[in-house]
Amino acid sequence: MSLAVFAAQADRVSLTSQTRVIAAALAILFMLLILDLIRRDRLQERYSVIWFVAGLAMLAGAAFPGLLGSVADLMGVRDTNVALFSIVLLLLLGLALNFSVIMSRQAAQITRLAQERAIERAKEQAAREALEGRLNGKREGEDEPARDRSS
Amino acid sequence: MRTLVFIPAWNEEASIDGVIADVRAHIPGADILVIDDGSADSTTERAREAGVLVATMPFNQGLGAALQTGYLWALREGYDCCAHLDADGQHPASEVARLLAEVQADRADLVIGSRYAKQTEPLPGVVPEGEDYRATWTRRIGINVFRFFLTLATRQRFTDTTSGMRAANRRVMSLFSENYSPDFAEIESLQMAVREGLRVEEVPVRMLERTGGSSFLTPLRSAFFIFKGLVVILVGQFKPRHAEAER
Repeated sequence: MSLAVFAAQADRVSLTSQTRVIAAALAILFMLLILDLIRRDRLQERYSVIWFVAGLAMLAGAAFPGLLGSVADLMGVRDTNVALFSIVLLLLLGLALNFSVIMSRQAAQITRLAQERAIERAKEQAAREALEGRLNGKREGEDEPARDRSS
Repeated sequence: MRTLVFIPAWNEEASIDGVIADVRAHIPGADILVIDDGSADSTTERAREAGVLVATMPFNQGLGAALQTGYLWALREGYDCCAHLDADGQHPASEVARLLAEVQADRADLVIGSRYAKQTEPLPGVVPEGEDYRATWTRRIGINVFRFFLTLATRQRFTDTTSGMRAANRRVMSLFSENYSPDFAEIESLQMAVREGLRVEEVPVRMLERTGGSSFLTPLRSAFFIFKGLVVILVGQFKPRHAEAER
C-alpha cells in the first residue's frame, strides 16, 4: 500500500513523451483552426481570445509537464489527471455560462429590434393612409364605414 | 384622455376583425393597434382591411414581446392610458371598457381582468353575471399554484395571474416598455408592478369560451410551465427595484 503511494509520488508527471507530442500537435492544430475561422470571418475576434488562450494552455501543458504537477499540488490533488480534468471541466462550465449570458443579451437585442421594426411598419402604414386621406375620417369619428361585423 | 387598445395577435385571421369591431363598438374613443406577432396567415391584412394600424413583427417573438411593443407604442405616442385583450375572441370589449374606466378614474395604475375573482360588489351600471368560464383540471392546478405563490410574493391577493386582459396608465407603460420578460410576462409583470409600488387592482370580468383552436397545455407541459413560473417568481423576489416610474 505504501509502495503504491510511493510509486504514485515518484512519477507524478504521468505524461509520456508520446502523449506530450500528441497534445502539442493537437494544441497547434486547434490554434490554427481558430486562426482560420477568424480569417474566414466565421468567428469574431472578441469570442476567439478565450479559445486561443485555451490552446496556449494546452501547448504549455505539453511543453512543460512539470507545470501540471505543480498546479495539482496547488489544488491539493494527488493525481494530476484529476487536476487536469477538473480544470478543463470548470473552464468549459464557465464558457458555457458565458455563452448563455451572451445569448440572452443577444436575444433581448433581437426582440427589441423586432419591436422597433414592427413599430416602424405601423408608422409607415399610418403615413401612407394619412396620404391617402383615409385616417382623417377615422380620427373625427365620422365618415367611418359601418364595419361592425360583430353580433 | 387619449386611449389606446392594443391587440396582440398570432395567426388569428379568423377572429381578428370580430375583435376589432367589438372594441370599436364598446370603446368608441380609443385608437386601436394590432400587433401581429409574425403570423403565417393573413392576420395583418385582415386587420388593415378593418381599418386599424398594424405593427407587424418580422418574426414570432412571443406574447411578452408583442405586448411590450404595445406598451412601447402607447408610451411613445403619448397615450394617457392603454388596454390590451386577446385576439381570439375570448375577451369581450365591454369588459375591457370597465378596466379602462378604473384607470381613467385613477383608482389604479394597472388593472387586471380576472375570470376568477368573486364578484362581491357589482360595479355600477353592470349586471353581474355568473362565471361561465370553466378551466381544464391541469389549468386549474397551475392557476392555483401561481395564485398562491404570487399572492405570497406580493402580499396582495391575485386570483387570475395569467389574464391577458389588462388596462394601464403611463406609469405602467414606462415600466413595462423597458422591463417585460419575454418568457413569463403575465406573472412577472404583476410581481414587478407591485414591487415598484404601483397600484395593481383586479376587476372581475366575464370571459367567453375559446371559439376555435385548443389550449397548448398538456399535463407535461403544464408541469414544466408551473415549474418555470415558480422559478420566475422566486428570482423576481431578488431582482433589483428599478428607478421609480415617472410620477
